[in-house]
Amino acid sequence: MRLEKCWFCSSTVYPGHGIQFVRNDAKIFRFCRSKCHKNFKMKRNPRKVKWTKAYRRLHGKDMTQDSTFEFERKRNRPERYDRNLAENTLKAIKKIDKIISDRASDHIKNRLKTGKVQRQKEARKQLELGIHLVKAPLALAQDSSLCLPKIKVNVSQAQTEENQPMED
Amino acid sequence: VIGASNRRYAHIGDVIVAVIKEAVPNTPLERSEVIRAVIVRTRKELKRDNGMIIRYDDNVAVIIDQEGNPKGTRIFGTIARELRQLNFTKIVSLAPEVL
Repeated sequence: MRLEKCWFCSSTVYPGHGIQFVRNDAKIFRFCRSKCHKNFKMKRNPRKVKWTKAYRRLHGKDMTQDSTFEFERKRNRPERYDRNLAENTLKAIKKIDKIISDRASDHIKNRLKTGKVQRQKEARKQLELGIHLVKAPLALAQDSSLCLPKIKVNVSQAQTEENQPMED
Repeated sequence: VIGASNRRYAHIGDVIVAVIKEAVPNTPLERSEVIRAVIVRTRKELKRDNGMIIRYDDNVAVIIDQEGNPKGTRIFGTIARELRQLNFTKIVSLAPEVL
């Protein structure tokens, strides 16, 4: 049993999945599902199709060089079965998987960092320009640093004027 | 299709009766000769028990005689492993690649 890679999208093809196509020059193309197979029949180049691994690696969206890729190289010699070896391999696979996914997500995060910084800068600028849209007038009133100082004027009101009823 | 009464379509490993439409000159075969052949590659997918599905790029058959030995001496292209189970050992051994 062997886990192959899809020729089009580079995902793993598990046994029982997908179609193998043998060309007349005896080159074998393996596909993981009919989506990849149909794209191949349409003669699409996977390096130009955005969702494939080939495109992502080519355009620097996913990491290309890493020492962990050595583990996935194709080896044609079968290993003699050794229980300890098998056990250690299984444990290592788990660890390596985690490391690979961590490194890949780090790569993507680094790639997206510059965009984040730029967006924050733009947002700050926009806040400065449009502060009147953001702070309510009440808040401006309470916070004396944001508006003109208030002047208190005392108005004296004669009380007799109010209490006297209207003359007939 | 030999060995199956009135079957419509033949698959990889079936022996068929065919007639020669085109012949390369200077071969022992002549046009409009009725011969038997075994199909080795089809464009239609071949399904295996382990779930593997194989498709070739062309439809190809190998001309054989009554016993199942190929009439020619060379075979071009890949052959499916199913032919070995069907006792076409000579064809399988001559094939450059068995898939």
